[in-house]
Amino acid sequence: MMRFEPPSRREYIRDQKMRQGRRVFGVFPAQYPKEILWALNILPVEIWDPPVKTTRADAHLQPYICSVVRSGLELVLQGKCDDLDGFLFPHTCDSIQNLASIVNDYLGIEKPCYFFYHPKAHYGPSSRAYYLEQLRNFASTLGKRWGAVEPEELERSVSQGQQTASLVREAYDLRAAGTLGATNEEFYGVIRQGEFLHPDDFLPLMRNFLETSKGRSGSGSPVILSGVLPNPPELLRLLDELHVRVVEDDLLNCSRRLIVPPVSAADPFEVLTEQYFLMPPCSTREGSIQARLEYLFEKVERSGAKGVIFWIVKFCEPELFGVPQLVEEIKKKGLATLVLDSELHQGPSGQIRTRIEAFVEMMS
Amino acid sequence: MGRLKKARFHLMKDLGAPALMGLAALKKKKRPVKPKPQFGPLLRSSGRLREIMTRHYLLSRYAEGAKPVAWVTSGAPVEMLRPFDFYTVYPENHGALCGAQKMGAELCSAAEERGYHQDLCSYARIDLGVCFSGKTPVGRLPKPDLLFASNNICQTVMYWFEVLAYHYKIPIIIFDTPYNFEEIKEADIAYMVNQFKDMIPVLERISGKVFREEKFQEIIRIARETSFTWGEVLATMKADPAPMTIFDAFIHLAPVVSLRGLPVALDYYRLLLSELKDRVDKGIGALVHERKRLMWDNIAMWYKVRDFSNLFAEHGMNFVTATYTNAWAETTPHLKEGSPFESMAKAYSLIILNNNLNHRLSLMERLIREFRVDGVVIHSARSCKPYSVGQYDLKRLLMERLGLPSVVIEADIADPRAYSEEQAKTRLEAFFEVME
Repeated sequence: MMRFEPPSRREYIRDQKMRQGRRVFGVFPAQYPKEILWALNILPVEIWDPPVKTTRADAHLQPYICSVVRSGLELVLQGKCDDLDGFLFPHTCDSIQNLASIVNDYLGIEKPCYFFYHPKAHYGPSSRAYYLEQLRNFASTLGKRWGAVEPEELERSVSQGQQTASLVREAYDLRAAGTLGATNEEFYGVIRQGEFLHPDDFLPLMRNFLETSKGRSGSGSPVILSGVLPNPPELLRLLDELHVRVVEDDLLNCSRRLIVPPVSAADPFEVLTEQYFLMPPCSTREGSIQARLEYLFEKVERSGAKGVIFWIVKFCEPELFGVPQLVEEIKKKGLATLVLDSELHQGPSGQIRTRIEAFVEMMS
Repeated sequence: MGRLKKARFHLMKDLGAPALMGLAALKKKKRPVKPKPQFGPLLRSSGRLREIMTRHYLLSRYAEGAKPVAWVTSGAPVEMLRPFDFYTVYPENHGALCGAQKMGAELCSAAEERGYHQDLCSYARIDLGVCFSGKTPVGRLPKPDLLFASNNICQTVMYWFEVLAYHYKIPIIIFDTPYNFEEIKEADIAYMVNQFKDMIPVLERISGKVFREEKFQEIIRIARETSFTWGEVLATMKADPAPMTIFDAFIHLAPVVSLRGLPVALDYYRLLLSELKDRVDKGIGALVHERKRLMWDNIAMWYKVRDFSNLFAEHGMNFVTATYTNAWAETTPHLKEGSPFESMAKAYSLIILNNNLNHRLSLMERLIREFRVDGVVIHSARSCKPYSVGQYDLKRLLMERLGLPSVVIEADIADPRAYSEEQAKTRLEAFFEVME
């Protein structure tokens, strides 16, 4: 059994509702101000890669829509979100945008659906002012149904968010320095529990993980993992088996939104705004290719990575567009690259295994 | 901008282009096109359209170095560029042209060879294929000085134009239009207005020209009139029989997309409108026997326009409206010279693809009613997710609410490799049976 095995989501959600009196929202990828939800005693449970077999969603979505969107909708259609009190759809891509509208407008689901838009234009004073306004409007909209956001509660939530970010940052720092004794599977297994645990539970988990894992990392070829999310676990297991150490990542659901630098301001909304604009570059936000390259090279520099694996969810346009230019520039630096695209839950095939083995050989 | 290149551009504009096109027209006259028997007479205005678009692409070759060149997305507020005298090129329009000329697969492949995945938008792949191979049916495209994109039509254009920005090492402006999950909000409008204001110094720097309010207001007026007239052109298809088909409209759409804000586009639509009104008065239809009236949903399948036009005409079925062509007329009334920024914010962010699916359903229901539509052909376009995701539900709802038959064709806008003739044939045969 893996260390820090996650609790059952279903049981955890039930416990949060029964014992903590929390409301629970299903939240689709990727970026949203979870602190505002926490402040309203709402637990956001993220829907990235639910382990469901897709049958019903095919009646609503074309075959060329990615499996993140497809499996998320399937979860809703199978009634597996019936325990939830609402949904939140951040504006991440065209497919999630329209999924939000299908669920809100066409499926007749009697649960409140919220939408959170964050600016896409190149960042400047206008986008900053807009984001700040979006946060206030979001809090106000939620407040109409779930009670007003109390300033002290929001301050507490923002503080918990910052503590979480600090611990995640530390974990990434230790991993990049080769001083975190955790396999790839363990590392992401723990980090990803933040997708549904309340900070009251996630913070002690992270502290425990760091305390018990400090030490030398195993030997192996250091790589950076780029893409949407580290799924399926079989991939991470395969990398462990082949002695490939993921020393850094550029994953949408991990470092691109979790590595938030410390910020201080009197107004918690200002803090959240500053944090947003200091997040790493991302294809789903302001995503210049130059900025993404610089970010990747910084990661290479600090971690000593010898290669980059682009693990892309099939049909993911935001990710697929940037890959050729990123690969070209990374290769110019003498680093190995590997581009793989796959459906969620599609374990690494024999062909993928062979390609990863060849990639490892290139690095050695 | 070089003086020599400017002089060459003006020489071509005033003398070279008219002379070359005159020669081409003479050649063309030797080979008159006869319409198929199921069609009414050809539109006379088509010749003028051909002249305008040929001239536009011909002059674009000489624009580089003579004028600031901007590559623009089809939904971007081009009115912002006009006061600075940018020569504007529309990669989507060019992609459609490449698709129609059956060059889509070849150009897509050129991008795929460089690592651009086959699952990406085919307009984008064609455009990148042109950048890498230099091949295009228009001879040559000018290298841009600026990229101007708006995500009101899709997020894809942002990723695509970011690739171009990196490739050409040139500035990019993204006009960000918050998606209307519900109603548009004051904060959204304020954000868009601020973006317009932020653009002005950037555009002044790139173009070397100063922004002049009066000129800008005149451009807004022309753009509004153009879109309004385009709307009137489309409205003539309410007549029975309709004086043109939506396949004609797909072609006649080019000026309102690519030349909006310029007098040439407005003049053209006035000419076309006059001809169409005349046809309506005389009862001349696009089809000799228009038995059924259809709606098209989504962008055209450019490589199949002629085939589909013939196929449906053989069944006496005419497409009289489309959500796609309507998009450039839909939000026109919002444009106002007196409040250019606020009005542009509304006009550009309230378009079909930046609105929720309930809005789309209501719009379709209105068009179905106004144009007395008997059935709908839904093009599920692999390249265009914001247009396509939700179409299966739309099909179901149109049947439930209006009892209207429809068919979904799985294909693509410009890459014919995503189209299966057999599958389409089977589905269309079933549709034709239902329609009878």
